[in-house]
Order: sequence, then C-alpha cells, then structure tokens
Amino acid sequence: MSGGIARGRLAEERKAWRKNHPHGFVAKPETLPDGSVNLMVWHCTIPGKAGTDWEGGFFPLTLHFSEDYPSKPPKCKFPQGFFHPNVYPSGTVCLSILNEDNGWRPAITVKQILVGIQDLLDQPNPADPAQTEGYHLFIQDAAEYKRRVRQQAKQYPALI
Amino acid sequence: MADLTEIDDLEPLFDYHRVQPHNLVSLDDDDTPPISIPKRRKTCNPAVENEVEVETREVQVVNCDEEEEDWLPPPPKVLVDNQLGEDSAIKELRLKKQELVSFAKSAEDMLRAVEESVKTKHSSVQAPVEAEAEKASKPPCERAKIVISVQDKDGLKQFRVYKDEKFERLFKMYADKVKLDKEKLVFCFDGDKIGPAATPASLGMDDDDIIEVHVKKS
Repeated sequence: MSGGIARGRLAEERKAWRKNHPHGFVAKPETLPDGSVNLMVWHCTIPGKAGTDWEGGFFPLTLHFSEDYPSKPPKCKFPQGFFHPNVYPSGTVCLSILNEDNGWRPAITVKQILVGIQDLLDQPNPADPAQTEGYHLFIQDAAEYKRRVRQQAKQYPALI
Repeated sequence: MADLTEIDDLEPLFDYHRVQPHNLVSLDDDDTPPISIPKRRKTCNPAVENEVEVETREVQVVNCDEEEEDWLPPPPKVLVDNQLGEDSAIKELRLKKQELVSFAKSAEDMLRAVEESVKTKHSSVQAPVEAEAEKASKPPCERAKIVISVQDKDGLKQFRVYKDEKFERLFKMYADKVKLDKEKLVFCFDGDKIGPAATPASLGMDDDDIIEVHVKKS
C-alpha cells in the first residue's frame, strides 16, 4: 500500500502546483498514449535564472518517483549528456536534497526540488562532481565553461 | 411585549417576599438594591449548588450498593433544598431575560436600519446587474463559472470567466488591464500554449488554476 501513499502525495503535489508555482516552471504528470495519467513520472521544465548565463534556456527535467516516495526522493533527470558539473552523463542530477542519505526529507515539495535544481544550475558544487567535462571546464577554463553554458541555453529555447 | 408585562407582574412578588427581609438596610440607604442583590445571590447560590452536589454524590454512592429502584426517591429532596437557590436563580434569569429583550430590540432596530439602507442602495444597483444577468443567461441558462489566475512576472491576477467561454475574451481582458498589445502576449497552461478558441473546460481546468503569461520579444 506504499504505492497508495506515494500516489496520494503526488496527487496533492499536483493540486498544489496547479494553484501556485513559480513563473516559467512547468511540472505535470506524464500522460500515457491511452490518455490516462501516470503520477509516478513528471515532465518538468526549469527556466534558466534571469541574469545568469542560463537565462533564456528552458531545460527539460523528468522526475521519476518510486513507490517509496516520499520516504525516498525522486530521481531527477535532464537529457543525456546535459552539460553541468553536477549532472551525471546519464542526465541524473546530483544534489544534496535529492540524496536519501543526505538532505532529503519527505516534506520537501516538488516545487522546492525544481527551485533547488534551478539554483544548482548557476551555482555548481565543485566538491561533488558528476561528469568530467563540465567539472574540468568549470575549474580550469571559466571562459569556455561560460560559452558552453550559453550555447546549451540556446539549445533549449522556450517552446512557445 | 407580552414578556415584559408578565415580568412586571411577577417582579414585586419576589422583591417583597425574598429581598426585603435581607436587604432592609441597603434599601433605606440608597436606591441601589439591584447591585447588592446580585452579590447576595452569587454568594448563596454556589453554596446551595454545592450542597446539592454533595447530596447527589452521597446518593450515588448508596446506589452502588442498593438496587436501582431506590434511585428515584432522592430527587424531591434535592428539589426542596434547591428552592432557596431557585428563587434567586429565577431572579437572575428574569434580569437576564430583560437584558436580552432590550438587546433583541436594539438588534431588531439595527437590522431594520441596515435592511432599509441596503434596499435603497440595492435598488440603485439592481437595474444594471439584472440587465447584465439577463444578457449572460441568454445563451445557455446556467453557465458554470471558474476563477483563473493569470501569472506574470509580477504576480497573480485573478479573473472570473465562464468554463465554456473561449480564452479569447480573457486574453483581451488581461491585455487591457496591463495595457499591452495582446498580440505580444503568450498564455500557457502546463507549459502548453493556449489557443484563443480553447476554453477552461476543454483544458480540464479547475478553480484557481494558474495560466502563465509570457511577453514575446520583438
């Protein structure tokens, strides 16, 4: 019945999101081909923060919730090969609040997760690298790092 | 009004019978017997009640040992003991009743005044409201309404529209409000652009759902 708890919580999260969420963000459960809704997978968009090199990008992020949610955090994935020091080559985001053994708490909301990841974009954590390319450029070649970030922001323009 | 006259008839009985003997001094001294009476009542009332309580408790204890049929006799005793207390209690009740009656009267007056003022105001407002209502109800009779929050970078603005009404009108209302060309605005629900022909119902929207506005860069 843990699945019931996860789905109940996710239904609440969705309800709250529809009534209030930060501007530019999208978060909606996956709709299956037959028209039914799968609450366990959410397709989200995180806007790059204004005033940073990430501005103008709308980065797609998928949240995979397990039956153990909210005891365990969702797995958050950007597209494969996403350029960022704290994103694994698979696209999985490495962030303390998303770590079951570290900063995750069941009370953390979807909104807090997405805002937390938006903050991470412009404030990478060099103490916890997840990919070599992004990490090396970040600490060795700031100009090239900046160029790559801006280029990536252009790759993910607003859909509208 | 009937209540008032009844009270007037009853009051002297109790005043003479109960209050005078205890209160002679205070009656002669000043014209404030009502003040001293309540005090007296308050002091004697709890005592009586306590006695009654103690008695009933004792009775209950006895009951535990005996049969239930013996449970009935005690109440008359309690009543007899209680009469002293009851008299003063009734007085208190009467005073309270009078107070309440006067309260009710003033409340009624207030209500009447409010009603009248509302009527006069309403009659001036009613005409246009009814006209609008007629216009609105002309198409289908009862159209469900919905409150939609439009979110821009500065915050939320709420709009009340019909569930089956095209978003076109909401877009225009919003554009007029923020004084921007509506051609430059893009409205999104859940990340998808909303077409002008879509309706809240067609998008499965609920009350207080947010739609976002983005200003096109030109």
